[in-house]
Formats: sequence, structure tokens, C-alpha cells
Amino acid sequence: MKVEYINPFFLATVDVFKTMLSLEPRRGNLRAVEELVPVSEANVVIGVTGALRGSLLYSFPKDMALEMVYIMAGMRMNELDVFVSSALGEVANIISGNALTYLSQNDLLCDIAPPQLIIGTNGSLSMSTEKAVVLPLHTDIGTLEISISLRATSNS
Amino acid sequence: MMWKEHYRVGADLIDNQHQELFKRVSSFIKAVQTKAPWEERKAEVLATLEFMQHYVIIHFSDEEALQKEIGYPAADQHTEIHENFKAEVGAFANKIEQEGLDEQGVQEFAARVMTWLIMHVAGEDQKIGQFMREQGGSQ
Repeated sequence: MKVEYINPFFLATVDVFKTMLSLEPRRGNLRAVEELVPVSEANVVIGVTGALRGSLLYSFPKDMALEMVYIMAGMRMNELDVFVSSALGEVANIISGNALTYLSQNDLLCDIAPPQLIIGTNGSLSMSTEKAVVLPLHTDIGTLEISISLRATSNS
Repeated sequence: MMWKEHYRVGADLIDNQHQELFKRVSSFIKAVQTKAPWEERKAEVLATLEFMQHYVIIHFSDEEALQKEIGYPAADQHTEIHENFKAEVGAFANKIEQEGLDEQGVQEFAARVMTWLIMHVAGEDQKIGQFMREQGGSQ
């Protein structure tokens, strides 16, 4: 998978985290993995179609997820319930949308599917047949990892 | 508190309405997330939702009028964003009218409204303030 597909997700996360959470993510070291595996408790999977095809997995530690919702709502929540996981889904959706805007500047036009929420770290996600690159993003409230598995479709 | 000082745009009318809107969304989230049995909370959730829906329309229309008044160049695009959000809220209102109010659907909707509002006010709306400052005037 090309590294040029990764940077848009870093830039988009910085934009969205600064705007919505007043946090500035720092980029960790990339690593390659054989499949998409949830590494933390709160996970959002988003499918990508178009010039690039594949999946994105946003993995948030529970404490980070709850802190993000506290920053946004100004209210403490204690569990990864429907409200909290939906809010994470929305944030991941906004980041993905912004990343696609960056990709479109390189003539890669893509669409995203609605976010799927997965709570827990059990197992791998069967939809992934391709290798993925994991982009760790360190913040003052924890580390979000975005696993990116994208490949160019034949007609692009 | 949901409202943050850095969400200010720099126009009093808009900032006051934004604060009211954040207060309403905050009450909505509270009503949605409280632990009391769902049946007991339904009426409050519905009332907050209705008020919010009306308030959004008033606020959008005032904000659009301000944009016209100051000659904001991206006014049409901004109005379209407002229209899309109004349509989304309207579709949700229709859905609960037909299918009733279910707890999970309302929790998902509350999360959507919260993230939309923050991203819009802290992102898109800040460009209006920036334009006003560049023009060197206040409202």
C-alpha cells in the first residue's frame, strides 16, 4: 500500500481534533499488519469505494473515548454506550471525509460507507483481505490508532 | 459545560444564539442519557427536541441574514449546509412521528447533532468571523 494514502489521514485527524477537541495529535511510527485487528475497546470501521477500495479501522482506548465525549458534551459518561460510540462514529466519519478531500486533490476520488461500530477487542475483521498500515496518533488524552487498508482499483 | 469561549464568532447576536443552542443540545443529551426509565423520559426528550428544531431554524435564518448584510462570499454554500442539516433534522422528526420514539435512535441522533454542531460552529462559522475581521469592521 502506498504511503501517499496515509498522510491525508494524519492531516485530517489534526484538522478535526484541533477544531472539535482542541487537541493536537502527534504522529507515531507506522507499522504494517497482516489484517485489520481492533487494538482498543472502541472501534469504528468505515468502508471506502471509488479510486481506492478498502477499509479504515479507527481504534480508540475506552478512557480516550470517554474523555473525547467529555470535551465535546461537557458531561461525564462512564460507559461505551450507544451515545458515546455514535459520537466516535461521527468523529471518525468526519476525519474520513476530510481525508478523502485531501486524496481528491491527488485525483483520487472516493466515497465512504456509513460507520460500523464495534465495541471490544475480540478477533479480526473478516472483510479485510489486504495488509494494512497502522497510523498511531498520540494526544494528551490517549492514542488513537487508524488502520488503513486501501488499494487502487483497476480503472484508476 | 458544552459551550467553549473559543467557539465565539465575534458577532453578538450569533454568539448568543450559539450559546443558547449549545445549552439546548446539552439539555437534550442530558435527557437522552439520564438513567431513569425510558418511558419516564420520553416526554422530556420530545419537548427538548421540538424546541431545538424550531430554534435551529430561527438561528440559521438570522445567521444567513448577517452573512448577506456583510457580503460574506461563501453565503450560498453556507446556506446549503444549513438546508442539509434542517432536512436531516426534519427527516428524524418525521421518522419518530411515524415509528415512535425509540431510545437507541434518539441516542444516535443526539450524538449526530452534538458532533455536527461543534464541527459547524468551531469550523465553518469561524470563517464568518474571520471575514468580518478581515473587513476591519464589527457587525
